[in-house]
Amino acid sequence: MTDREEKISELIKNELNNVDFFIAYGRGYDPIHVKPLFVYEEKDLDDLVMNIFCIHNNASYLKTVKDKKVGIVVKGCDSRAVVQLIQEGLINRDNLRIIGIPCTGVISIKKLKEKMDISRVTEAKVESDSVIIKTSDEEKRFEKDDLLADKCLWCQYPTPVIYDHLVGETIEPSRPKELEYKIVEEMEKEDLNVRFEYWNKELSRCIRCYACRNVCPMCVCQDQCVMESRNPHWISLKSNITEKVMIQLIHAIHLAGRCVSCGECERVCPMDIPIFKIKQKMNQIVEELFDYKAGIDLEATPPLYTFQVEEAKIKEREW
Amino acid sequence: MVMSMSWFIPENEFDIFVKNLSKKRRLFVPVKENSIVRFVEFKDGIKPYFEKQATSSAKNTIFPQTETLFRFEYKKDPKDLKKFSVEISETIEAPETVVLGTRPCDARGFLVFDKVFLNPKHPDIYYQNRREKSLFITMTCTDPEPTCFCKAVGSSPADSLGSDILITKVKDGFFVETITEKGEKLLNELNLKDGDAYSKEAEKVKDEANEKLESPFDTKGLSTDILKLFNTNFWEKELAHCLSCGVCTYLCPTCYCFNITDETSDSEGERIRTWDACMFFHFTLEGSGHNPRPTKAERFRNRVGHKFSYFPDRYDGMIACCGCGRCIKSCPASVDIRKVIIDLKEAANESA
Amino acid sequence: MAEEKKEAKIVGFLCNWCSYGGADTAGVSRFKQPTDLRIIRVPCSGRVDPLFVVKALESGADGVLVSGCHPRDCHYSEGNFYARRRLEVLKRFLPFMGIDPNRFEYTWVSASEGQRWQQVVTKFTEQIHNLGPAPKREEKSDR
Repeated sequence: MTDREEKISELIKNELNNVDFFIAYGRGYDPIHVKPLFVYEEKDLDDLVMNIFCIHNNASYLKTVKDKKVGIVVKGCDSRAVVQLIQEGLINRDNLRIIGIPCTGVISIKKLKEKMDISRVTEAKVESDSVIIKTSDEEKRFEKDDLLADKCLWCQYPTPVIYDHLVGETIEPSRPKELEYKIVEEMEKEDLNVRFEYWNKELSRCIRCYACRNVCPMCVCQDQCVMESRNPHWISLKSNITEKVMIQLIHAIHLAGRCVSCGECERVCPMDIPIFKIKQKMNQIVEELFDYKAGIDLEATPPLYTFQVEEAKIKEREW
Repeated sequence: MVMSMSWFIPENEFDIFVKNLSKKRRLFVPVKENSIVRFVEFKDGIKPYFEKQATSSAKNTIFPQTETLFRFEYKKDPKDLKKFSVEISETIEAPETVVLGTRPCDARGFLVFDKVFLNPKHPDIYYQNRREKSLFITMTCTDPEPTCFCKAVGSSPADSLGSDILITKVKDGFFVETITEKGEKLLNELNLKDGDAYSKEAEKVKDEANEKLESPFDTKGLSTDILKLFNTNFWEKELAHCLSCGVCTYLCPTCYCFNITDETSDSEGERIRTWDACMFFHFTLEGSGHNPRPTKAERFRNRVGHKFSYFPDRYDGMIACCGCGRCIKSCPASVDIRKVIIDLKEAANESA
Repeated sequence: MAEEKKEAKIVGFLCNWCSYGGADTAGVSRFKQPTDLRIIRVPCSGRVDPLFVVKALESGADGVLVSGCHPRDCHYSEGNFYARRRLEVLKRFLPFMGIDPNRFEYTWVSASEGQRWQQVVTKFTEQIHNLGPAPKREEKSDR
């Protein structure tokens, strides 16, 4: 166990009496796969890890455990989801114990997979700005930045925005904010019909597993979701492209002004569909129009839950 | 089962072999798109990808995610507009199909489907028609991954059960052997070279492949262990991190559950069969509003129970899991079904 | 009639308290209007979920028009203020998905503005005719 892991472990031990369980990170089936670890008793802590592969947003589980007292380990990006949920009155701050982890970035398994065969990794370690991955037949060294999840490259919240305990020193944001909507801007260089066909192609792979929705910390309707509702009949059960596009439009529209940019929707997609782009476009619009970012301020109101009589940035329709 | 006959395809002639297969019939091959591999219909310009196990299984080739069972149209009686009649047109689509590049686990998955859909008392004609007209060309799995556990469920990396033709990569090309009559008939059409000279080399490759894997657990007694833990909180704790999405079931070569709905617009529509997943809340939601499996713990218990207990109990001990490991590799929360089984056996032992 | 253009499929969501009345005023005053618009009456523009618009477009509409009371004139005092935010967000979002933003407009027409309604509906219909039929999403056979 590293020092940081020892500290987290110690804090959880001390807090375990105050909560029903703690959600931390645990060892997965190989060195690069980490799983959200539910700690019910001290011995569950044996599996605890806190490393560069802890990409999951543990706040994804909060919506399903509303009536419980829960402890949670969060990175900066994850903490925004906690703030947003509290802000919307969907969870109760008093039922939460939060351990914050200042973070300098986590690794995207998909990016790693593009660079090497990751099916038999035996060891993974970080040495300053490099990541070293050992497999049964080779050892590869990568620049850390080449493997980081997109969201880490423009991260403005390396330190959690809400916590009871902070493990480690506060980290000042050092990544360029300009990169935030780069993936959106790249897309917008293309013509409308190219974009139309791009989404038809990418989304045709969708298998309607709803992983993007289930993992989304802000998708709080869960079992009552309109994507599956038969009445009203928003979408049929067919696996046509129209349905698949509709699913993403529903998700994006329901997240307008609420999405905390954790990128989990895209990470979990088993068909590798770049759906985070869609969410980022929505976030860009909300930021431009309402000068607002979700999950920063506990007292704020999501922009689509309110209005201004004179809108500063919406031009009156001229006709 | 027929006497095994063998052929050989030199490395540089494999593309021609693929092309020839696609003549006169529908051919599915694994194709890499972004970082994933899935089975799609072959056409010119498509580059098949055989290096790694496909991300999704090949079940869509004969069990499409959506299939139309029939179409219907309401027609008004022009003389009495209050009267309607319904016209129904059947839609059974079953073109001749070849699936190239399955792994032994993919092919075995269909044996589970067969038990359910080809039950002699009530065969499913849609599945039956397509199954009869489909042929599977499997590739020996020379490079099983650490997530593979086919040996635990009675298979192996060179298992030919469920396949019609087995291809094994040897040094200079591909050794091809027929497993079924259907397979032999197809290969006879294709004018391939004799493969006898390579059979020894191929056997060696297969033996080595089989030795590469170990079995992570023993299925003995598993069925009763699952039932023993049925009403315990084992499931809730073990699967607390499950997201209750459909990744595992939809990528699984053996998960066959489906839903049937009428999708109507205006006066016409179709009755469709679509994939469904026991991990979804709506899967067991009853008309009354009651749900016998309200949380993900009960739902995952069903997934494990169905594969390792209820299904084998009902169908002569056949385990409804082919050990491909897709559910482990693609799970967004890193749920590992092997670990669930190992833990549940331990928990059942403790409770005994 | 052979030279007349093929009708476009345009869906209009009109607030019961103003635009729907405005359309009626236009009709009563016998202003000439194009006939491509199919009107759906809603209690308030605030009732218009952006998904209504998206669903109409995905179901084959060539254009969608939402029309409500002028800001500050909402029958429910603030419904159209919420609508304005939602619909503006949607209008900016559609092009990212490859949908022409000109296929969707939102505007304000009061019950007395028959003439204005005529202008709005004529202009929007023209705009849709200029764009032509909405592109269809093609089904892939490997679904």
